[in-house]
Amino acid sequence: MASYAFKGGVHIPNPYPIKKPEVKQVAPPEQAALFLQQRAGGEQKPCVKVGDKVLTGQVIAKTSGKYPSYTHASISGVVLAIEKRPIPHPSGIDGVCIVIDSDGKDKWIEIEKCDQDFLRCAPSKVIQRIREAGIVGMGGAGFPTHAKISNAQGAQTLIVNATECEPGIMCDDALMQHYPREIIRGVEVLMHGCGAKKAIIAIEDDKQEAFNSLLMYNFNAHIEIVQIPTKYTSGAEKILIKTLLDIEIPSGEFASDYGVLCQNVGTVKAIYDAVIDNKPLISRIVTVTGSAVKEPRNYEARLGTSFASVVAQSKPNNKVHQIRMGGMMMGVDVPNIEHSIGKITNCIFVNNATLKPSVQSCIRCGQCNEVCPVGLLPQQLFWYAKSENMDRAMDYNLRDCIECRCCDIVCPSHIPLAQYFSFAKALHCKQTKEQQKADVARERFEFKEFRVERNKAERSEMMARKKEELKKKMAEDKTQKDKIAQAVARVKNKGALKK
Amino acid sequence: MTAVFSSTSQMMRQVIYALVLGISAAYAFFGWGIIVQIFLAVVVAIAVEATFLKIRKHPIKPAIADGSAILTAILLAISIPSIAPWWIVVVGVSFAIIFGKQLYGGLGNNPFNPAMLGYAFLLISYPLPMTTWASEFVNFSQAFDVIFNLNSNMVDALSGATRLDDVKIQLSLGKMMSELNLHSSAQAWINAGFLLGGLYLLARRVIFWHIPAAFLSGIIVTAFLVSLGDGEYLPVQNHLMLGATMLGAFFIATDPVSASTTPKGRLIYGFLIGVLIVIIRTFGGYPDGVAFAVLLMNIVVPLIDYYTQPKVFGK
Repeated sequence: MASYAFKGGVHIPNPYPIKKPEVKQVAPPEQAALFLQQRAGGEQKPCVKVGDKVLTGQVIAKTSGKYPSYTHASISGVVLAIEKRPIPHPSGIDGVCIVIDSDGKDKWIEIEKCDQDFLRCAPSKVIQRIREAGIVGMGGAGFPTHAKISNAQGAQTLIVNATECEPGIMCDDALMQHYPREIIRGVEVLMHGCGAKKAIIAIEDDKQEAFNSLLMYNFNAHIEIVQIPTKYTSGAEKILIKTLLDIEIPSGEFASDYGVLCQNVGTVKAIYDAVIDNKPLISRIVTVTGSAVKEPRNYEARLGTSFASVVAQSKPNNKVHQIRMGGMMMGVDVPNIEHSIGKITNCIFVNNATLKPSVQSCIRCGQCNEVCPVGLLPQQLFWYAKSENMDRAMDYNLRDCIECRCCDIVCPSHIPLAQYFSFAKALHCKQTKEQQKADVARERFEFKEFRVERNKAERSEMMARKKEELKKKMAEDKTQKDKIAQAVARVKNKGALKK
Repeated sequence: MTAVFSSTSQMMRQVIYALVLGISAAYAFFGWGIIVQIFLAVVVAIAVEATFLKIRKHPIKPAIADGSAILTAILLAISIPSIAPWWIVVVGVSFAIIFGKQLYGGLGNNPFNPAMLGYAFLLISYPLPMTTWASEFVNFSQAFDVIFNLNSNMVDALSGATRLDDVKIQLSLGKMMSELNLHSSAQAWINAGFLLGGLYLLARRVIFWHIPAAFLSGIIVTAFLVSLGDGEYLPVQNHLMLGATMLGAFFIATDPVSASTTPKGRLIYGFLIGVLIVIIRTFGGYPDGVAFAVLLMNIVVPLIDYYTQPKVFGK
């Protein structure tokens, strides 16, 4: 058996482990706030008005364009407001939310059933259902799933990312233990949708129960379930592909270019719900954990449920909290708990607020080199990112940084390296754009100069030519005149002779 | 599994702990001198560093607490003769901290190893006291007398030449290697102490294996090649166990700030230091070459690092 090891990465044990990750069902909320900002394709446009009655599963907002996407009502009731509310983003910016006030009935909208077995449907039909169910990458990326599948048509291999490598998150672990049958079925749907002949489900080896339960329900010879070593960044898409298939995909290229489609296991379950159960994406499993909660747990909650209501069930203490959405490595700190669960909310960390250790100087100890899964030299990059020496930073492959924060974790000087790199990338992008603009302006200016010069030259040439012509003409005129004069003289002479 | 150090100071402390064995061996053979020198050096380093940070308007406490100045002081103190007069260590440490570190912008910005810069400065400027080593155990009051110059006859009574220097002089006088009494057991013990400390640092992953391994290979290969030539030369094993070899391999060349940081670069850097050391010891005018070899290689580190970048994922 292959060792499935990869270079770099860090092993961080789950800081708040629980014996058996159960999934606690959360009752549909009194109010649901669904935000419309998407990761790709811009903000959705509401297609309901304040005061409208909506049913569970009804489309309430959508976008068209390159990445069409939909949002569905997660409860039945009345649209209470369409207003700006803070969205889970480090800056605490606001985004448009549709707020639904529950009627307490949770009445579902009639959804047209796919009367055929999905295997008899055309793949395009399956993709359409996935699109209309509003499914996006549920591992945290939030990219519209249908678009990803469409791009990967004809893929050889489907990889189901069930690594859940971010320490602390347990929602996929719980999902696999609770819905193994649905997941295997979902994988089959997805294989049909993209045309892959083979699927690999990858699970980190610290989730033995999840592995066993999937194994028990897998009767498909084309689906392989493998355990890979527990080490953070094992679940980064390109790292996972390298681990499983030994294909290294350079930055700027995509898995689909190599005949691979990678999907998160939570997304696969949502696909099952959409295609087989005819349910759009209106709920998800969320882990609530952190130093400030007494009972870390997974909750299956409707989208739009407030953070506070699920966190309350995990018995938080009364101290000052630091809230983080997503994992402890790649999640984002949010200013407060006034948020609601969205499609990509896989985890809510509730930590006791602590002071961050102060940053010390980089001593080039090289611990960061050892853990970088893409083989960068973070300490060198840091030097150039800090001095904004973009050319050098590019020489040191800034572009390839996946911002996994492994370097941050091991840095003894507590330098927020990934933050510097993310900033440097943005700066480079801006500089490149400015450079392009400047280039265009310069070219335009130079062309204008050239044009003026050219016109001048053409004009003077023309003048010269005209002058020349005039001269010639004058010369011709002169000869003509001479001829006339001669003729006149001749005539005169003749007259004189006659006399 | 990756070692995670909670702070830079913790790493520095590990290095200081690892030095204890070698220092103890030096103490066992040559007495209190080294202890007094270390104490003096640390006090001077803290005072100078604090003063300069104040002049530069930088926070003083965190910089002192990171332990880097203290480590520099200790490394310099154990590199100089244990019976050198007090002003040697004061001048050396001050030079190391001011010109080796603070003028470049403090910790992390110095291209040269500060301790070795201080050492080289002292060796060039004051060759006599820098090559007058204790030849026997020195007790506390003797050490005090000789270092603070309280008894001028004491130096002659306690001193001898540097072992490596002595070997070179004897060889140049036409003696055969076999005729020399190397008296090298003390040096060998001290080197063994630093070797063990170095292995501890490797085990704790404070340093990586590349530099020490390449450094020692460089010495072995070059010493072997040199020994193939005509005439009498120091054998390979003596190169390894005499002078500052082990201190250099595990504590000096591995100073991360001034060393190469790429895996391949570290190998090149370490190996060339080893080569230079043997060349300086054999053909140079100075008794030991660790300081000069390290400083020379410090200069080329940016070049080495640039051309030895590891393969990036997918390229």
